[in-house]
Amino acid sequence: MSDMNTGIKQVAVIGAGVMGAGIAAHIANSGTPVLLLDIVPDGASDRNVIATSAVAKLQKADPAPFMNKRAANLITCGNIEDDLGKITECDWIIEAVIERLDIKQALYKKIGAVRKSGSVVSSNTSTIPLATLIDGMETGFARDFIITHFFNPPRYMRLLELVASPATRDGVIDKITQFADHRLGKTCITCHDKPGFIANRLGVYWIQAAMTEAMDRHLTVEEADSVIGRPFGIPKTGVFGLMDLVGLDLMPHVQASMAGALPKSDPFHAIYRESDLVKNLIADGYTGRKGKGGFYRLNRSGGEKVKESVNLATGDFAKSQKARLESVRAAGKNPHSLMNFPDKGGEYGRAVMGKTLGYAAFIAEEAATAIPDVDEAMKLGYNWKTGPFELIDAIGVDALIAMLTADGIDIPPLLQKAAGKSFYKVTDGKLFCLGFDGDYAEVIRPDGVLLLEDIKRRSEPVAGNRSASLWDIGDGVACLEFHTKMNALDADVMAMLKTSIRTVKKQFKAMVVYNEGSNFSAGANLGLALFAANIAVWPEIENLIETGQATYKALKYAPFPVVGAPSGLALGGGCEVLLHCDAVQAHAETYVGLVEPGVGLIPAWGGCKEMIRRWSENPKFPKGPMAASAKAFEIISVATVAKSAFEAKEHLFFRPDDGITMNRNRLLQDAKTRALAMVEGYEAPTEITYRLPGETARVAFEMAVDGFWRLGKATDYDRVVAGELARTLAGGDTDITQELSEDDMLELEREGFMRLVRNPGTLARVEHMLLTGKPLRN
Amino acid sequence: MTQAVIAGYVRSPFTLARKGALAKIRPDDLAATVVRGLVDQSGIDPKTIEDLILGCAFPEGEQGLNVARLITFLAGLPRSVGGVTVNRFCGSSMQAIHQAAGAIAIGAGDVFICAGVESMTRVPMMGFNPMPNPQLYKTMPEAYIGMGDTAENVAAKWNLSRADQEAFAVESHKKADSAQKAGKFTDEIIAIDTPDGTVTDDGCIRPDTTAEGLADLKPAFRADGVVTAGTSSPLTDGASAVLVCSEDFAKKNGLTPLARIKSVAIDGCLPEIMGIGPIGASKKALKRAGITASDLDIVELNEAFSSQAMVSIRELGLDPKIVNIDGGAIALGHPLGATGARIVGKAASLLKREGGKYALASQCIGGGQGIATILEAM
Repeated sequence: MSDMNTGIKQVAVIGAGVMGAGIAAHIANSGTPVLLLDIVPDGASDRNVIATSAVAKLQKADPAPFMNKRAANLITCGNIEDDLGKITECDWIIEAVIERLDIKQALYKKIGAVRKSGSVVSSNTSTIPLATLIDGMETGFARDFIITHFFNPPRYMRLLELVASPATRDGVIDKITQFADHRLGKTCITCHDKPGFIANRLGVYWIQAAMTEAMDRHLTVEEADSVIGRPFGIPKTGVFGLMDLVGLDLMPHVQASMAGALPKSDPFHAIYRESDLVKNLIADGYTGRKGKGGFYRLNRSGGEKVKESVNLATGDFAKSQKARLESVRAAGKNPHSLMNFPDKGGEYGRAVMGKTLGYAAFIAEEAATAIPDVDEAMKLGYNWKTGPFELIDAIGVDALIAMLTADGIDIPPLLQKAAGKSFYKVTDGKLFCLGFDGDYAEVIRPDGVLLLEDIKRRSEPVAGNRSASLWDIGDGVACLEFHTKMNALDADVMAMLKTSIRTVKKQFKAMVVYNEGSNFSAGANLGLALFAANIAVWPEIENLIETGQATYKALKYAPFPVVGAPSGLALGGGCEVLLHCDAVQAHAETYVGLVEPGVGLIPAWGGCKEMIRRWSENPKFPKGPMAASAKAFEIISVATVAKSAFEAKEHLFFRPDDGITMNRNRLLQDAKTRALAMVEGYEAPTEITYRLPGETARVAFEMAVDGFWRLGKATDYDRVVAGELARTLAGGDTDITQELSEDDMLELEREGFMRLVRNPGTLARVEHMLLTGKPLRN
Repeated sequence: MTQAVIAGYVRSPFTLARKGALAKIRPDDLAATVVRGLVDQSGIDPKTIEDLILGCAFPEGEQGLNVARLITFLAGLPRSVGGVTVNRFCGSSMQAIHQAAGAIAIGAGDVFICAGVESMTRVPMMGFNPMPNPQLYKTMPEAYIGMGDTAENVAAKWNLSRADQEAFAVESHKKADSAQKAGKFTDEIIAIDTPDGTVTDDGCIRPDTTAEGLADLKPAFRADGVVTAGTSSPLTDGASAVLVCSEDFAKKNGLTPLARIKSVAIDGCLPEIMGIGPIGASKKALKRAGITASDLDIVELNEAFSSQAMVSIRELGLDPKIVNIDGGAIALGHPLGATGARIVGKAASLLKREGGKYALASQCIGGGQGIATILEAM
């Protein structure tokens, strides 16, 4: 973990609602003790019941708020009446109570009386201005007070908006930023004290525009979501799907509070409208996915699940119809062509996104200190792939101005300043962005942030093919990047790996395996494997397996340090790459597993042999001929996926001393530093031999699987796949008196894989996975 | 022939594996505390002890290396006291008592401590390295059959409904709960110190167990099965110890024996229905004692599962009112190696407490066996 002394050793969160509890959980993820307090309910026998039940709920929530089970132990539950005194130990006190000024200020007075001097107090408010919060509070309190606005869920949303007041003393924002950046992994954006800050100001406008326009233009929710999704680099949930996700009941409050807080001159008022449809949906319990559905619902009444959607005009539900808009099909990922396509999709997209992007330009200077902050806020707070100003550049500033003018919308001054130009430009490999003053300024990354994106802007790859490239990231370190779809592994990736080993040996000191996609690698390219299997070119498949084995082995024994730096999914072959690295520096949000059994296969690029080795070398694990193989079998047979880098260590997908970086943007630099630290005196690992129990282990593993099968927890074909895995992990026909080499183990993996890949049961699983994205339980 | 008597019985609290209060205690330490407790309580001169015979079902890891000998050291017994670890799975510590009785009969010693231990937290059932013989598994897979499957087989063969098994389990918890509340375990339990405090009470008993609650549980071993976690004994940590000596020694040294060992027996059965083991073994032991089931006043029958205990009671023609009057293993727990000594010690002390002439202690054993001991009041 990129660790540094931020002076924050203990944190208090007051208010154990969804946000407060989620924030507390994420602070615990950073390894920092947290005090979580809430009120004592009337007549409660357990005076801490609100906090304790919130933590109990967190432990069961999915997606998990905790990165590992132990993190929950770092939370101390209490109540405001008895335990407020304990905040004297805390360096940061976060208020996350109900959005009522009187309650908040009364609490601040109590906090002010007990907190230690120099501690920071912040509010997680999303609707009350900072100036109002500190109005009437004593100066000393106001000096240490800011707003820290987390997004839900706090573990997963990388945005943290910070607001300081003129009274805030120097150093407060820095101190919290340091902690939130390094320890919580947040991108911290300082906003002005304006309603909704940046992300919600624009996001709420965008949602309101998308709803109003969809209703006025008589689009179905599917049509609306298909337009306001992929073409603009926005998640395919679009707007209606997004509202289902966050909860319909939240929106009227947020919209009304925005309408109340914004001056009459704000363009929000022109589009703000209370929706009877939404009111009725909420009243009927359609509060979104947390309720019985929202704009979409799953109707289970007929015995099977039918996806239905609401008719925006009548409020009735009917079977969901896939949107078929010519504009969406023709535009692909091009927002400009969508907005100019003459059908209702094009017109809708233009109406919603034209206004929204215009509003982004309208609010930018008022809400943010710089344009890139607005883009970051929407990317991290609303999961847009590109920020509004990047989108404007993609559409063309002049083209957007022309569209808005034609549609009778006022052109905001900032957009006028950019006329004939773009918001971003690259000069000499450096990225510049237009400032509010009309001049371009270089976009500077914080210290310790190294992005491949920037390196690519200023250099050419050292080597590369269509699936992978090798980059020089400075100081003698090379970075191998995969860039296929989902970063799936294919023959070209293997070829590039081999080339990289040769190149790095000659020209560099160390190598990092890293990329900036959403996922490190989803594993081998199954589509290619299925194609090869369908035309029965078995030698081709075996050759791909053999090549992968030889390549990964060469990576493991390369004469220079190799550091794997994953983020997102690292599954199957993607996990196996990491198992062959000298060290791993992982983003905390890494999801790792040897999931091959899910598609009817076994790990065959060294995954089995490496897992046995790791468990047999773990000093804390019981010894004996069976133990390591049994543990590997337990993990792989059910396709265990670790849901964080911390969990990955528990399964030994990562070693106990592998590094974890909380902030995604710091991953490459941390990995590079780690690689450089290993250079001096580096010696490649020496080959090991295996002593495995042989057939007796296979029998023992199969007995265990049969138990699950009798319980209905394993399918018929699970037994076949587990049988091959059992045979491989047992060491085949070996005997405990014999030694097996790594190559012997690889041969066993390959044999098992090849028997399975010829089995129709496996092909059915692969096909199903490719079609549905879900495992087939045959 | 020299007659062997039971002259003392103690045990540790029995607590749930992993979640329970003894999870952090090494089994050798646990057993040593219990053995020391027995020696102190009985007041015998430790130098007179011939041997510590200790039963353990998975004698490896912290239970390995002839743990019985190590426990003599940990318990502070003189070096002259021997130590032997015996394994007959669930029957291990009852076997220890049988061996002591045999040794006394042939004059191979006067005083034995017969103990048992199992930390099912720290040494998993099946051990760390289960290595079945592939050939035997091929020709006779039932040699390695899981215990839950045998319970299902017994339930199917004897046509036991799930509801009846659950009623049996509810009754076991009820009896154990009343006994606990009435302080009837106080005399037999040796307190155990742990890093989190001293443990004095059993931890597996669930007084709030109801038929409705059990009916909600999912089958534990087969998708369409009738055996659940609620009708199975829980994985348990615990230790027990019984003082076995010759009748003469007891007299000469002022000990008050609880009961005389009248007869013992082992009987094999089909592994796939190992739960009926007590039937054959008890019949043999009754015959050897020259009595019938109707002569029994006290029965301690291990409840590995509701199904096997119910069938054993039925087939032996036992009066349910005299069986496990302070509750059985479904409620108290079943630390495999420790159960045999517990039920023999318990049967002996119940003879004393409740009065009566004869008691039976019996249990089933994985792999297809039964073991039984008949005690006679003195």
